[in-house]
Amino acid sequence: MATLETQQLDDIIVKSRRKMLSLGTTALAGLVFAGAAKKAEAQAAITDNDILNFALNLEYLEANFYNLAVNGVTIDKLSTPIGITGTGTQGVVVTKPNFAAVPFSSTTIKAYATETSVEEGKHVSFLRGALGSLAVAQPQIDLVNSFNTLAMAAGIGPAFDPFASDANFLIGAYIFEDVGVTAYHGAAGSISSTTILGAAVGIHAVEAYHAGLVRTSINAYDAASSTPGALLKLTQQISAARSALANPSSSPTTQITNGGIMGADDQGIDNTVKVALEGSSATFPSTTIVDADNNSIGFARTPQQILAIVTGTSPTAASPHTGVFFPAGLNGNIN
Amino acid sequence: VEKKLNDLIDKALSRRTFMTGAGTAAAAALLVGCNTSTTAPTPTPPAPPTPLDFPDNDILNFALNLEYLEAEFYLYAATGQGLSSADALSGAGTTKVPANIAAVPWASASYAQYANEIAQDELNHVRYIQKAISGNSGTPVARPTLDLTFFGPLAVAAGITTAPTFNPFADQDSFLVGAFVFEDVGVTAYTGAAPLITNKNILSAAAGIQAVEAYHAAEIRTLIAGAAASANATPAQTAALAAANMVSALRGKISMGSGNMLAAETTLSINSIVASDSTNAIAFARTTDQVLHIVFGGAAGAGVSSGGFFPAGLNGNIKSTTT
Repeated sequence: MATLETQQLDDIIVKSRRKMLSLGTTALAGLVFAGAAKKAEAQAAITDNDILNFALNLEYLEANFYNLAVNGVTIDKLSTPIGITGTGTQGVVVTKPNFAAVPFSSTTIKAYATETSVEEGKHVSFLRGALGSLAVAQPQIDLVNSFNTLAMAAGIGPAFDPFASDANFLIGAYIFEDVGVTAYHGAAGSISSTTILGAAVGIHAVEAYHAGLVRTSINAYDAASSTPGALLKLTQQISAARSALANPSSSPTTQITNGGIMGADDQGIDNTVKVALEGSSATFPSTTIVDADNNSIGFARTPQQILAIVTGTSPTAASPHTGVFFPAGLNGNIN
Repeated sequence: VEKKLNDLIDKALSRRTFMTGAGTAAAAALLVGCNTSTTAPTPTPPAPPTPLDFPDNDILNFALNLEYLEAEFYLYAATGQGLSSADALSGAGTTKVPANIAAVPWASASYAQYANEIAQDELNHVRYIQKAISGNSGTPVARPTLDLTFFGPLAVAAGITTAPTFNPFADQDSFLVGAFVFEDVGVTAYTGAAPLITNKNILSAAAGIQAVEAYHAAEIRTLIAGAAASANATPAQTAALAAANMVSALRGKISMGSGNMLAAETTLSINSIVASDSTNAIAFARTTDQVLHIVFGGAAGAGVSSGGFFPAGLNGNIKSTTT
């Protein structure tokens, strides 16, 4: 937890950064500091436990999605149930009527889904264990209207069921994983305890493994399908929608060295891009398995940006953010 | 304000003082405790001695050595040539490569795309870290002398071959095994180093690179395990999965030999792509010491400062094992 000294230090650093920015430092420092200053402003009084509880809300969402996909039940109904009680208002997971697990036809994709379901469940258990009696309850989670709303916003269509098929499941997973990566990345700098930071960066890496796994799988599945490019286009639309939610005032930028258009802080999978390597122009065909910026650094999002994505609101909207995946909002102080 | 700032920074730094090895062990112990604890974690003072608090630029330069190695490997695989002299910086060492090196003769165009993307990412990391160090009032180290023929002896040590003939540039499947050697090490190195970093902006950059290394690692692991699990798997694809797990076992052995890895590495299979601690699905962290032992090829004990991929050692201040 932040001591008075570290709080004061953070305040001074924020002020210094602004001053340096106004004085015009190097481009690199400007870039780095711009993001950090924005983050620090928005997160003034949050504690490590607030951050862990924020992450726990997101892990409840992911763990339920994957366990429903594989096992057909929510995490509290598994043969070895995962706890969902805690502070705040406990809610149910909304699924379509007569819900059933994904009818996987690929044993490979089912294996990926199974592994991820287990790992996201362990993240829930780990965070609950770390927080003890301070852990928030599972909030209400919507896995029906949420995907339909997001599909509409992304220009995919009026309805989308991630539990309908292998391909739809992969796209459903795509929606979550990169968001988890950016959320842990964005929160890392606000964590005071070195121990908690170590755990958070460890979970961050696992989310990036999941994201790399699902993006590589989508790329391979798409290439082998009867309509190559169709799934990749969906990923680009989803990335653009996520970026627009997280950055409502930024227009999409072009990723120059790493290919693809996409957004201020997101890029879908694109097999038409080229990279320069050590050459003078971009001539080497590439793909965009990695979701990163032009320096090949993973994107970071503030909790407010993550809230905007998972609730379909704006980062600057007043708390509590409600909607889309969390119709009744998140539990905890970051909401 | 400046006086106050300096006082606060001093306090923050002393609070941050951490030790390699023992610090991670203490963190690991605490995390294991967290798993069953019913109360909020209360950081306990890390066990004993040897405070070793690396300045951020030392950590960045350590990372830069590793990024030079990765960039060089992927650039050779993608193009048959390594880093430009401008990117290797003045005073760079040479890189030993297999005879008649050329780009990997890809059997599939999509694998060339994967390799090109990763090569660009690693090159970008080299350039970014160089700038980050300069921007933090430091001096980026030049590329050290590298040996990309060390894959041969490494394969022998791992039990993959009996003669040191393994060449990751020979074909697509060998390339995947070569990439596998590096990627998870990169992830564990950044995971271990992140909590040691004092400057929040540098921490954020390091976390961003860590994520990219994990994307790469997952990509390589998915390709290796997926191909081997396919009904049409070739003998070479089946062998690549076996080789990857032999590399993994060797890395785990070296890490445990230099202390406190949480567990042996995760065995790669179609059912287990992510490399993480099976108790909590949190990625492994390695100390700088453990990473050094691995890239030096496994010589045990303190004072190892060259060998393996770095025949003349690393450049910078973190370059010699202490355990």
